[in-house]
Amino acid sequence: MENRVLEEWEIKEMLSRYGIRVPRGIVVESLPEKLELEFPVVLKVSDPRIIHKSDVGGVILNIKNYPDLKEKFMEMKRRFPDSKFLIESMERQGVEVIIGVIKDRTFGEAIMFGLGGIFTELYRDVSFRLIPIDEYDAREMIDEIKARKIFEGFRNIKANKDSVVDLLLKVSRLVTDMGGKIDQLDLNPVIVREDGAVVVDAKMVIIP
Amino acid sequence: MFEHLLNPRSIAVIGASSDERKIGNVIVKNLIYFGYGGRIYPVNPKNEIIYGHKTYPSLDSIEDEIDISIITLPATMVPDAVESCVKKNVKYVIAIAGGFSETGERGAELERMILDKIRGTNTRVIGPNTVGIYVPRSNVSTALTLPERTALPGDGSIAFISQSGALGLLTMDTIAEFGTGISAFINLGNRIDLSENELIKYFEDDEKTRSIVLYIENFKNGRDFFNVAKETVMKKPIVVLKSGRTSEGARAASLHTGALASNDAVTDGALAQAGIIRAYSETELMDYGKVLAYQKPLYGDRIAIVTTAGGLGVITADYLVSTEKGVGMKLAVISDENKKRIRDTIVPFGSAENPIDLTADGSTEQYSRVLEILNSERNVDGIIVYALFQTAKVDETLIDVLEDNMKGKPMVVGILGSKMGKRMILEAEKRGIPAFPSMERTVKAIKVLYMRGRYLKRRYEDGEQGS
Repeated sequence: MENRVLEEWEIKEMLSRYGIRVPRGIVVESLPEKLELEFPVVLKVSDPRIIHKSDVGGVILNIKNYPDLKEKFMEMKRRFPDSKFLIESMERQGVEVIIGVIKDRTFGEAIMFGLGGIFTELYRDVSFRLIPIDEYDAREMIDEIKARKIFEGFRNIKANKDSVVDLLLKVSRLVTDMGGKIDQLDLNPVIVREDGAVVVDAKMVIIP
Repeated sequence: MFEHLLNPRSIAVIGASSDERKIGNVIVKNLIYFGYGGRIYPVNPKNEIIYGHKTYPSLDSIEDEIDISIITLPATMVPDAVESCVKKNVKYVIAIAGGFSETGERGAELERMILDKIRGTNTRVIGPNTVGIYVPRSNVSTALTLPERTALPGDGSIAFISQSGALGLLTMDTIAEFGTGISAFINLGNRIDLSENELIKYFEDDEKTRSIVLYIENFKNGRDFFNVAKETVMKKPIVVLKSGRTSEGARAASLHTGALASNDAVTDGALAQAGIIRAYSETELMDYGKVLAYQKPLYGDRIAIVTTAGGLGVITADYLVSTEKGVGMKLAVISDENKKRIRDTIVPFGSAENPIDLTADGSTEQYSRVLEILNSERNVDGIIVYALFQTAKVDETLIDVLEDNMKGKPMVVGILGSKMGKRMILEAEKRGIPAFPSMERTVKAIKVLYMRGRYLKRRYEDGEQGS
């Protein structure tokens, strides 16, 4: 059997069960009359066949009101007629980080931490530890990246380091609980603010 | 477990030869040259005398138990020779020849044949494609070194496991210059059977070994290595030089994390997590192995520097403190009380501020007094001492002072210079004082003591939380 790509909402539900914060959202095939979400919202195509949604124009950010959403939804529906859609409250800005999991050929399951956005790839400023990790490992992972100062009040940026430590530990536990079934996991971006860390986008590949 | 590998009572050489150009000749000659005291059995179908030892036509014609059998025959003949070793219940086989999996599929097939022969038996294989072992304590060397060209280190406390034979021999030749010894050297070669993981476990309990250093190209089983090492480091320090840092592994990954996970980034994390010190050159590998074997861990990062040459003091301070071109530790702030005591000890134009400069007027007595003061100083965790012998008032008894100070706070010594300097490093080495011939190497050595201390402290704290 081939590896399976989970849908974003499935992953986020799983994350929620571990006490990991995700944006409020709903999965729909058609736009409901009333939306119990705070604007602005984000509209995303939700389809296991599409891993990299933004590359195919499957993500629209910062939709400010219902009429606007209605228009954008119609447009999306035209382009992805067979897909479902995820509507989520848009998160306030913060420091963007990436947390990921891979299966290393030599060492097995490993967890990664790094600064998110374009700089992740540009500088490869990331750190790894083998799963499971403990709190000390998690703190070291953050302290090891070159951009660590961002979590120490650089230019008055407020990003809650403890919430990242907590998130890393929860991801490690989730992976352990899955008993080797996770082939790859990307939480990217995770938005870190003073009030904690929220996983805004998540991708997961599962071994059946 | 590997007792009879490191202390063999008897060694058979399969393919021994009276022809001086043959490997089977050099192996026997070297066993004798290095003074191996056990029983030597050259095996050779022709009835000959090789260096005074009568040859045996086959292994089973020897009426003795064989601990080690060295196979000097070419690759294609090795599986049969291994079979004869299994029949004889030989404990360890060292298969010297190349021409196995490193050359392609046919060679790989020979390795599978060897593995088939030893499966389920008590016979263990080192290599093939290995220079074998060098164990000073039992005067065993299976390496094809020429004594007039290369040196091997004496007996010591660093266990050295290397995947590469040549790198291992060259590194040992190099450290022999300053008298650093090893407890054992084992070249894994193609590593079809005996692996680094078992050896690490063995050296953890080996009384002679105080640190374990490894040169590794690829781990036999990464997760096992991680688990074994993580346990062993609580008893003995481990240093790893891992090559292939820049070769990006081809990773079949569709997500972002996979693209960012070079093999080395994961290796780096795994080594740090297990408390293994990573070296990036053969010099670092042996320096770190040495300082960790000779000196206790350092549990704080505030360092005092003692020198008779001001320039060394300031360069060392830069290198100690800088996080860019340095090791990111701290220069200790000496208390006023002890500063006064130091000032009373040294000449007025010296410096009682850290780095402490005794100046060219500094004497062995002043070193002794200043070290005593620093050992009582609360704000000092560790000490770097430059023992510099170019000035008249510093004499050889400074080594006695340093030896005495090994009981005090963790100390690393820098000794520069090629004449008396080198002689004094050799003397320091004899007494187990960690001394290094350059400022950079001295500073890196003290950093490694701190890395070890920090890791141990963390694990102790973890343990307390757990209980």
